[in-house]
Amino acid sequence: MTEYLQVQDIHKDFSGLKVLTGVNFAVREKKRHAIIGPNGAGKTTLFNIISGRFRASSGSILFRGQDISAKPAHVLNRQGVSRSFQITNVFQELTVLENIRSGVRSRNGMRYNFFRKPGNHPRISERTEAIAEEVGLKEVMHMPVNALSYGQQRALEIAITLSTEPELILLDEPTAGMTREETSQAIRMIDRVTAGRTLVIIEHDMDVVFSLADTISVLHYGKILVSDTPDLIRNDQRVKDAYLGEE
Amino acid sequence: MISQKKAPYLVIAALFALGILMPFVIKKYHLNMLTEIIVFALYAVSYNLLLGYAGLLSFGHAMFFGMGAFTVAVSLIHIPGLSIWNAVLIALVLTTAVGFITGGFLLRHKGAYFALLTLAFNSLFYAVATKWHKITGGDDGLSITRPDLHLGFTTIKMAALTNFYYVTLVVLGAAIVFCWYFTKTAMGQTVLLMRENEERMKFLGYNTNISRLILFTFTGALAGLAGAFYTLHFQFVSQSAISVDMTTTVLLMTFVGGTGTFWGPILGAFVYIIVQNYLSDITDRWPLFMGLIFILMVLLIPGGLSQIILSIRDLFSGKRRAGKQAAAEEPSS
Repeated sequence: MTEYLQVQDIHKDFSGLKVLTGVNFAVREKKRHAIIGPNGAGKTTLFNIISGRFRASSGSILFRGQDISAKPAHVLNRQGVSRSFQITNVFQELTVLENIRSGVRSRNGMRYNFFRKPGNHPRISERTEAIAEEVGLKEVMHMPVNALSYGQQRALEIAITLSTEPELILLDEPTAGMTREETSQAIRMIDRVTAGRTLVIIEHDMDVVFSLADTISVLHYGKILVSDTPDLIRNDQRVKDAYLGEE
Repeated sequence: MISQKKAPYLVIAALFALGILMPFVIKKYHLNMLTEIIVFALYAVSYNLLLGYAGLLSFGHAMFFGMGAFTVAVSLIHIPGLSIWNAVLIALVLTTAVGFITGGFLLRHKGAYFALLTLAFNSLFYAVATKWHKITGGDDGLSITRPDLHLGFTTIKMAALTNFYYVTLVVLGAAIVFCWYFTKTAMGQTVLLMRENEERMKFLGYNTNISRLILFTFTGALAGLAGAFYTLHFQFVSQSAISVDMTTTVLLMTFVGGTGTFWGPILGAFVYIIVQNYLSDITDRWPLFMGLIFILMVLLIPGGLSQIILSIRDLFSGKRRAGKQAAAEEPSS
């Protein structure tokens, strides 16, 4: 059986610094896969490679059986891959609505149109509003981003990621910097909005990982130490030694 | 009450109506100036789409302006019986093609490298215009006569300034209105979003390189259209139309008016042409005084005249101002 997303022997060197040294894992369709690992293990680098920001030094990534490792980010996005960023990466000067609409209209083929206004398109407006509601930002839709709270900005980060209707969602530490309460709220929201889609999530917060993920990979010094279900990962001695035990 | 959505259209209609009345109100000397202002307004608006909206600082916009200006002159001289429309059309096609090709080279680089490359390209075009004497007239320039405008049922004599003024008002006015509309369209918004956060746009399915190339080509064609009317207006073109000075002119107009609003550069063109005309009547050293004015303006009001106007408006509508401040202060608390 071919996997939905298959990462095969990915290596990445940054001018001599070997960050990834042969990463392998696979994700089944409509499952949630978490990648954990200590700081500097190469998690974000791995995401940058899957999402088309960087190219791997070697190795391949198969998405629905097709090699996507040489494709640029915008092409991958059109094929259904969308990612969020660990450091909030939104359009700060614009309103929440304009932020979310940027992806919705892209998905609806309104990227470079010289004559039509995206605001006049009912399907785009409806979808934009629906996404804002899903992540709990409907009340602040007309506010500029820089007037939002940190938690709201993180929710917007996810809303923008969802705005192109992706099939494969990559979330890079969605709860980074959040309080306990914000985190549990965010988990519920992520659980809701990613239902029925394939999710790969990088996370530090073990509560998030164990409550969301169907499978977990532990990335340790550029390699996957082990991939398994949360229960087995929790009791794996290698993981305890390498990561959990250190905390 | 007038809805916010309709208000700009009313302003546009009022400006056109005012434009139509002008020949009955002002002297020929001033009508001449007004025609020139409209030409430069389009040139400045096209430049601000690059600078203000896309954040691209180009020192080569005159190559499109000059290309449009020369194309009209050369085709009117070499193709007997060519109509005004076709001459302008040839200029548009050529500047679009040049924009697309040069854009392909220039846009590989960003920031200072992009700016320097545009300067180099502009100098190249200037050198060609100077040395290719046979076609461009070199230092002597080219003189033309505006052909009459055939509309099928009637012929409008273009030698009369009033008639040419109306054609300029309608054609270039429409082009400026389209530019304004463009800023609201999907493509216009894409340009703005890219200036805000190009990285994120890539992860939303936008090909940012293509977007920039489309915008660059579009603004090049608009500058070419302005250049075409520049030649038709003066019935003369020389290498100054394609010189780096012509780029500096549009840069100053845009800065004087302000890059932050759509209408700022139009105001900039208006003020620039008027000040230049009056100063050059008084003294031959007018460029010196123009330079001093600009230095002071950039130092004291970097947002340009439109910033002053917006500040005054905010002063009178205290409510709006209070709202803005609240929004600005919130994140820091």
